[in-house]
Amino acid sequence: MKGWACWLALMCTGCITAEYSRVSVNEPIDREVLRALVPGQDDLTSCLAALGAPLDVREYQVDADRASGMALIWYWSNEAGWGAKASTVLRGVSVSLEIDWTGIDLPGCVLWFDRDLKLKFYREGMVGQLVAASRQPSAFDQ
Amino acid sequence: MRVIPSLLLFALLPAAGCVFARQDVNEPLSATLIEQLQPGSTTARQVVELLGGPNQVVQLGRRTAYLYEASSTKNAAFFTFLLNLGNQDTRQDRLWVFFDEANKLSHYGATYGTHRTQYAMPWEDVHEVADNDARDASRPGVAK
Repeated sequence: MKGWACWLALMCTGCITAEYSRVSVNEPIDREVLRALVPGQDDLTSCLAALGAPLDVREYQVDADRASGMALIWYWSNEAGWGAKASTVLRGVSVSLEIDWTGIDLPGCVLWFDRDLKLKFYREGMVGQLVAASRQPSAFDQ
Repeated sequence: MRVIPSLLLFALLPAAGCVFARQDVNEPLSATLIEQLQPGSTTARQVVELLGGPNQVVQLGRRTAYLYEASSTKNAAFFTFLLNLGNQDTRQDRLWVFFDEANKLSHYGATYGTHRTQYAMPWEDVHEVADNDARDASRPGVAK
């Protein structure tokens, strides 16, 4: 009974709140459509027609004559999860602690095109890792 | 004695609340305007006259690419003292236009999603194909 009383007292003051939330950003690329693309055969036109517009476009492999390929990046999020929020007043100052168990890394895919805009290769996975792994110095860096 | 917690919970229920909110960034892209783009003949100047200034310009070696985008976010939340439930759904319209070194349009790709956002609870699937198709049908130039 004492436990219930404490819990209800905390609830009434709004000190502890559980949260269940979903954050959905854009829609996943259709995996079958993506896997139907053929490196060396498909080009920028066919890839854009199949997948639509990417979220980001980056320069890729800049040659000495300034011609370059490009990387097209898609990502999305559809994460649901529990969280908790605790707040109290310490010496007149409001203090709160929030714990969020929803995911923070984003799934996605990256397509790389050569200077002739032919699909060179593509990868699926966590998009931050994919981009970091393939990052090359830009013309500006060189 | 078990009745007391139930009565207290029942007494707290009227203190619950809900919120619906919507946030739009930029005007949705016009699919009918975008259909006027002609790779090989449309120039960067004509694209800007047609669609306005882009949100982003990217240099790709000797090529350039412009990004046009708009987004729509719908939030739905239900609050009680004990538990908060929330859902946030964000979709974008995006258009990437690619120009060659002579500033002629070489490629473009468009995605239309702002009309697909939904108010929902977190256990609902907001990516169902039937939902998307129904919403596409009401947007000119987007229906398949």
